[in-house]
Amino acid sequence: MNLINLKQVTKRYINGADCVTALQEISIDVDEGTFLGIMGPSGSGKSTLLSALGGLTSPSSGTVNIDGIDVYGLSHEKQADFRREYLGFIFQSHNLIPYLNALENVMLPLVVTKLSSTEKRQRASSMLEKVGLPDRMLHLPQQLSGGEQERVAIARSLVNNPPLLLADEPTGSLDSATSLQVMNLLAELHQGGQTIVMVTHNRENLEWVDRTVYLRDGLIEKDTVDGSIGTFPQAM
Amino acid sequence: MRLEHIVMHNLRRRKGRAIFLVVGLLIGVATVVTLISLTDALGMRAQHELEKFGANIIITPHSEQMALSYGGVQLAGVNLVAEELQQSSLVNIDSIPNRRNIAMIAPKVLGAIDVKGQRAMLMGVDPEAEFKLKRWWSIAGRHVQQGPELVVGDTVARRFNLTMGDTLEIAGQSFTVVGLLDKTGSQDDHLLITPLPVAQEVLGKQGLVSMVEIAALCHDCPVADMVNQLQQVLPGVDVQAVQQVVKTRMHALGQFRMLAWGVAVTVVIIGALLVFVTMMGAISERTREIGIFRAIGYRRRHVLHLVLMEAAIVSAVAGVLGYLTGVLATLIALPLLDGGEIHWQWNPTLAVAAVFAAVLVGLLASLQPALRASRLEPNEALRAL
Repeated sequence: MNLINLKQVTKRYINGADCVTALQEISIDVDEGTFLGIMGPSGSGKSTLLSALGGLTSPSSGTVNIDGIDVYGLSHEKQADFRREYLGFIFQSHNLIPYLNALENVMLPLVVTKLSSTEKRQRASSMLEKVGLPDRMLHLPQQLSGGEQERVAIARSLVNNPPLLLADEPTGSLDSATSLQVMNLLAELHQGGQTIVMVTHNRENLEWVDRTVYLRDGLIEKDTVDGSIGTFPQAM
Repeated sequence: MRLEHIVMHNLRRRKGRAIFLVVGLLIGVATVVTLISLTDALGMRAQHELEKFGANIIITPHSEQMALSYGGVQLAGVNLVAEELQQSSLVNIDSIPNRRNIAMIAPKVLGAIDVKGQRAMLMGVDPEAEFKLKRWWSIAGRHVQQGPELVVGDTVARRFNLTMGDTLEIAGQSFTVVGLLDKTGSQDDHLLITPLPVAQEVLGKQGLVSMVEIAALCHDCPVADMVNQLQQVLPGVDVQAVQQVVKTRMHALGQFRMLAWGVAVTVVIIGALLVFVTMMGAISERTREIGIFRAIGYRRRHVLHLVLMEAAIVSAVAGVLGYLTGVLATLIALPLLDGGEIHWQWNPTLAVAAVFAAVLVGLLASLQPALRASRLEPNEALRAL
């Protein structure tokens, strides 16, 4: 079943007289349960594409439909609700709130829901257990290693049971051993049926994806299945 | 976990900024509370003194003639017939409805006498009432008690070269000077003061009084009403309210009050600017954090809620502490400004108003920063995706 449908999405950034086209009439369909990797050189439009999918950057033209919902046809407040209910974000720099402990960080998306305090706490703690941090719940972010922080970020992105997980360079700031742990975790989630869209620079991460889109200059240069890198340029 | 939880955590983490805001607002609230409390306390003190010690109602015999004197200068050729009141009629004063508001009744008899071949004025008073009523009188020696004793006004003492212990022959009686009244600058300087019965006998006015001064406790009763009531129970007399002193004092207090409000408004504006600038800085500092909230599904109103709740908590704390500081400052400043006993009362309205005003100023000053925060586009704020 089709979860993501992008039609002719163009995004231009205008700064005075300068106009930069980050995405040029991109159209993609992504089925539910897909682990999609997005690769491309710097400035190719990867992050803009992820932002457009995440309801964070409205396209200059074209439509973004997720689970049949025209994301940018929604009001600002409805877009916020949509992000909370349909999307989980994993940021490159973890983006944890420094004054909240791991459990509270994971609970953040639930704070503005109608769940009871007990249920919020139960969900967050079970999610932290799921990512392997049952004994780190009361630690502040600065008391956690980079890998642990990333896992807290993953737990936060999943705590609302979102249909779509968006990850921006999830291993970008991690060493290779920790990166492996994080990718294994994402693979586990994928095997459990989670749809994931991941922007990455690391070609090794493509071993876990089942579809890869290569971008260059805001255009889809290649769209391959099973993470086959093929003859894709080395310099990325 | 609720939004309040996030606010409290953030305040704890950024203690320095929170303390700076609290202190800034606290100074403002304390200044306003101090000025208002001082004004109120000084007003109460003035009211209290007027009620307790100053005569604010004067009863004189009725006269169809107009008084043709001003500032001690009497026009020549005017024949004033001195009339008197029956002392026995004064008991009627106790029958007026507002009798409980009467603090002091000071009857006196006045008459001209010959002293060492010159004319002087003798005033017979009820010593108990008169010397309490004229609290501003400064007497060397003591006041008269009973018998032929005299307290002598400054002008008379100089004219007749009188000192303490001197005796003076008046109408064949020998009077002893027991007190010298310091110069008052009023007609009191021309008086020879003696107990009422003695003066009545000397002047041949037994059972008569020339005038009565009344001090009324009129914080919650209009003097005008009491004047009417006295007029009814004392027919054939003139009852007048002395309002000049009250009005002068109240006018001065009114000006002080206006100055206080002027300073208060200025301080509040400075406090509001302080909150505004600090909150704007805080929003800039928290831009990325706000981006995270927005990206994970917080509505604009949730962000607004977070910022305004923080401002409200800080302002409420500043309001409470500012009120307490203001009260303390008032209690310290009042004796220095006013001397004597302190007339301060706890004013619950001011307490509530201080906290409410602090929260209101804090919220209004934070509204623009809060709106700015809530309008941040998540992607702009994050600059990460």
